[in-house]
Amino acid sequence: MRNRSLLALLAALLLPGLASAAEVVVWHAYRGAEKSAFEKVVAAYNARPGNPNKVTTLAVPYDAFADKISAAVPRGKGPDVFIFAQDRLGGWIEAGNTVEPIDFFLDDALKARFIPSTLEAMTYRGSVWGLPLNYKCIALVYNKKLVKAPPKSSAELEALAKKLTQRGAGRFGLAYSYADYYYHAALQNAFGGRVFDAGKPVLDASENVKAAELLQAWIKAGFMPAEPSTALITSLFNEGKAAMVFSGNWFLGEIAPGIDWAVTTLPALTEAGGKPMRPWTTVEGVYVAAPSKNKDAAFDFVKYATDLDAARIMALEGRQSPANAKVYADPKVAADPVLAAFKKQVDVAVPMPNLPEMTMVWSPATTAMGSITRGGDAKGALAKAQAKVAADVANLRKSK
Amino acid sequence: MASRREERIPHWILHAVLVVMVLVAVYPLLWVISIALSGGQSLALASLPADPGKLDLLRAVIPWPERFSAANFTAVFRDQPFGRWMLNSVIVSAATTVLGVFLASTAAYAFSRFRFPGRRAGMMSFLVSQMFPGTLMLIPLYIIIVTWLGLGSTRTGLVLMYATTAIPFCVWMLKGYFDTIPRELEEAAIIEGAGPARVFWTVVVPLAKPAIAITALFSFMTAWNEFILAATFMDKEEMYTAPVGLRFFVGGFSQQWGYFAAGSIIVSIPVVVLFLYLQKYLVSGLTAGSVKG
Amino acid sequence: MTRPASHWPRALAALAAGLAVAVALSWAWLRAASAGGYEERARAEAVGAVTRLAKAVEQAGAEGDAARAALSAWQADQPAGTVGRLVIVSGARLEGSTDPRDVGERAAPRRLLRDEKWAYDQAQRLRGIVLENAEQGFARAEVEVERLEGRYALGAPVRKDGAVVGAVEVDRPAKPPPAAPGVPAALAAVALPLLALLPLRRAAARRGPALAAALVLYAAGVGGFAAWALRLAGGGGEGVRALGLSAAVGLALVLFVALGGAARARAALVRHRVAYAYAIPAMLGMLVLVFFPFLYGVVLSFTGQTLYNTSAPLTEIWVGLQNYVEILRTFAFRMPDGSPSFYWTLAFNVIWTVTNVSIGVSVGLVLALILNTKGLAFRPIYRVLLILPWAMPNYITALIWRGMFHRQFGVVNYARMLFGLEPLSWFDETFTSYLTALATNGWLSFPFMMVVSLGALQSIPADLYEAARVDGASRWQQFKAITLPSLKPALVPAVILSVVWTFNMFNIIFLVTGGDPSGTTEILITQAYKYAFQQYRYGYAAAYSTVIFLILLAYGVFQNRVTRATEGI
Repeated sequence: MRNRSLLALLAALLLPGLASAAEVVVWHAYRGAEKSAFEKVVAAYNARPGNPNKVTTLAVPYDAFADKISAAVPRGKGPDVFIFAQDRLGGWIEAGNTVEPIDFFLDDALKARFIPSTLEAMTYRGSVWGLPLNYKCIALVYNKKLVKAPPKSSAELEALAKKLTQRGAGRFGLAYSYADYYYHAALQNAFGGRVFDAGKPVLDASENVKAAELLQAWIKAGFMPAEPSTALITSLFNEGKAAMVFSGNWFLGEIAPGIDWAVTTLPALTEAGGKPMRPWTTVEGVYVAAPSKNKDAAFDFVKYATDLDAARIMALEGRQSPANAKVYADPKVAADPVLAAFKKQVDVAVPMPNLPEMTMVWSPATTAMGSITRGGDAKGALAKAQAKVAADVANLRKSK
Repeated sequence: MASRREERIPHWILHAVLVVMVLVAVYPLLWVISIALSGGQSLALASLPADPGKLDLLRAVIPWPERFSAANFTAVFRDQPFGRWMLNSVIVSAATTVLGVFLASTAAYAFSRFRFPGRRAGMMSFLVSQMFPGTLMLIPLYIIIVTWLGLGSTRTGLVLMYATTAIPFCVWMLKGYFDTIPRELEEAAIIEGAGPARVFWTVVVPLAKPAIAITALFSFMTAWNEFILAATFMDKEEMYTAPVGLRFFVGGFSQQWGYFAAGSIIVSIPVVVLFLYLQKYLVSGLTAGSVKG
Repeated sequence: MTRPASHWPRALAALAAGLAVAVALSWAWLRAASAGGYEERARAEAVGAVTRLAKAVEQAGAEGDAARAALSAWQADQPAGTVGRLVIVSGARLEGSTDPRDVGERAAPRRLLRDEKWAYDQAQRLRGIVLENAEQGFARAEVEVERLEGRYALGAPVRKDGAVVGAVEVDRPAKPPPAAPGVPAALAAVALPLLALLPLRRAAARRGPALAAALVLYAAGVGGFAAWALRLAGGGGEGVRALGLSAAVGLALVLFVALGGAARARAALVRHRVAYAYAIPAMLGMLVLVFFPFLYGVVLSFTGQTLYNTSAPLTEIWVGLQNYVEILRTFAFRMPDGSPSFYWTLAFNVIWTVTNVSIGVSVGLVLALILNTKGLAFRPIYRVLLILPWAMPNYITALIWRGMFHRQFGVVNYARMLFGLEPLSWFDETFTSYLTALATNGWLSFPFMMVVSLGALQSIPADLYEAARVDGASRWQQFKAITLPSLKPALVPAVILSVVWTFNMFNIIFLVTGGDPSGTTEILITQAYKYAFQQYRYGYAAAYSTVIFLILLAYGVFQNRVTRATEGI
């Protein structure tokens, strides 16, 4: 008996080492530069001396990705590792047998690798479910010909924007999708507003109302265009008719070659006692699939993909903003003004909620934003949205 | 014929109607072409100066890119194996067409010519199968195709699903058409000693060519433009179909409408070619009318 | 003349089939009931054991030697083979263990090993559930029970100072349930009535007595077995229902066989074998790929399944007709909170379908008639240009149409301005928003109808027109008397199906109007999609889909009555 248990112990110690000679399949939704950069990371991982694992990748179109994961993974037909933003994370965890909890593998050294808010985005119900790979958030993009010194506070912003606005000529000081709740969240978070409080929806929190009223004041001041669709903002900025834009790294690729631009952090809100604007971050995480047969190998790759070397490739070649905090000390990355600016921005940003109930927020919030931007009663509009979201959440949760 | 000329609608009126309809049909497509040829990636159609005059408006309404570039078309083939995906689409769609039309025409023949218990229920069940909304079907379908039948990531699985989607319309269409073919022709063949299979293949199918052409086109289109099943069920990039490849360009944070438009144009060319081939069966007075005389 | 065939063999076959099915079903119930009762008691006992352990450990301070002592004390009362573990989340520690392997180097306390990750995950999971229950007032079970092969795996949270710090995890052997009773009794219940019928060959030769004998013996066999089973299982109302159902199934089978239904079905199969051989291959795929998911959806519609209980068995979340009641209850166009109700969406959906199909069919038919004109120049070119809307992937063309109606950049508004009109916010009003979707879908659907009509026109023999002309019929008379009736067989199916497709035309509404303004241009299918994928209420969404199906089914049956489309010539 004693001998057998000793053997079992030996086997337990040795087997993971033996079993790790494994093939790891990774699904992602990248194309173009991001895809080639990621494939380079994978090739580098596979080529490491002494590495017994072989990683292969599959690109899946973004529009089909979440459905494909939900269909395949719980039935054990999916990948070992997959990459997606945190907004679906809560839903997959609640559905079960999709995302493997990785808390057990984490130690302080590993946790310290990441920008804290990106790791927070990977946390659900007190456990960590994936390692953050990169983040996206909005910042201030400005036309250097029109804006010599970007505003540090909203008071400066308002003054500068008013100065640069000539409505007759179609010139605006500031343009951003202010009717979109995702963009508006930057103002709301500065006031300390939020969508959920300990899991309960609080769209009508007094801070949220204050943020909405500030937006109404901005609209009234007339330095922003009406009906700000993303297409309008792009074309205004490209024609030199919008001096400043709030947008994310996805916007940078659309800027016309002739424009001399730069990125910096969003200003602090004078109206919120000088607190910085805090945009929502979308964090892409690397997750181990719960039914994977090669979890150790899978986690080994997850660690590698979020480590320094990989982050450097993803930043410089894939044009991503890595969640790995250490990579910003790399001379090449530090010398990149865009990456540095977004890093400064994310340090004050807030991860977008990863609760499944977040999907119920968008439609009522969009309706409320429509009414607010048309000059309606901010408090009433938010109260209406809150009632709708609260009712939907209650309908879902009564089954819990 | 010439004697009743006074009842004819003058051809110029017909041409006028057709030209107007062609303009309506083609106008949005010209925007697709113009986006594809612009070399840019924006879906925005046109921009106006701050205070537009009539001429500016007129220019904005005409789908004409500000500059021409074939960059979008070359990029579609350069960055990904788009040719390979087109080939997969051709294989899957052709197989769907053959399987769908074959199964549908035999079934439609049975429904049209035989009286048997369950006939009406069978016809209705084809109709009923189109009624249940598909939004919640993805997971059960995944269980059947992948878990039970083990056809995940195979062309067979896709073809089965597409053929099943296309068959109900094909059965109804063909059954309706078979009903119009006089039975005397078949009876004559039976008297000459032909079995049911021979009657079907040598008498009925040739007479039903227009309907078969339509169902073939329909089956092909069902498979050709389908995106979500192909993306969900295929687990290898080299197995993807063209619609899956197209969707890589849009979705998520950055959207490359220029590539998507160029890809869409490339993808619709085979459909046009197929239609060019099939349309001879839709030309007046070639088939049924003359045979029946 | 031959003597009419004896009905006795048929009665014997009927009795055998009916008894076999009914008794087998009853016996299956009996087995499940006795195993279930045993299982339930064993499970409760196991849950009690883990709960007691959690209490004891908490009282001992949750950590340290005192907690280990509490674990050992608890172990003493447990059946042999039981293993208890105390896992502390902080530092992933195995604080205590009664596993015989956890001695020597493996002795607790120590850090959990890689192959014990499940234990850590379970403790974390329980901690999360307790936290959520407290914060949000949920009532999720705070003890996890898993029935594995030959054992139970259980887990319960351990609190310290009000917060969960870890979990106790118990592995407890489960005795196999006692052998299922009643195999001999079941065999007897089948065999004895059959034996009783054997000597009645003479008496039961005619139809009436044969049927009567089969029914009496069936009742005796099934009734006897049921009475015995009920006594054994101590079954209440549920047992009576289950056994009654099995008896009814068997009875239906007896009657079906005894009255000659089975023989007739077989004869029909043989006589129409050619027809079936032609029709069945096309139906097979449909049966598997359409009707199984369909049944799944219908079953789901009677449950309260949501994202949070997908793993619960359907019987536990069965809500009967509640979803349907909730959907159909508010008998008005607006819900109390002002959002569009089911009836609004349905009315909109019907209007949407009728207008779309009318446009598609009339435009398609007119174009086909024009293109069928003999001697008209350039017909092949027109034909190809006119099917282009169908050929291009509709994902991009739908979005182009949406773009054409944009307030600031849309060419439709530019065109309005050209004529001196004010630009419109198309998606701000229900009616104009509907027009945008109608224009898009009409544009997308007329080429298909045109092609179908072109094909249908080919089935009209030219000599019919010749004859009509000889009779002096005008063009309009020819159209009414010849063209329309001849088009019917091929056109009616296309119309019926396009009604069904348009009714569920998800893409166009989703991409073009997106339901704007405020959900008034949603159709039922986009609404069902929202319930499933934005609100995660799967049962409710399934009920919505089933309602859609029932509406279309009613339409299909009605339309078929009117047009006799399933009939022949």
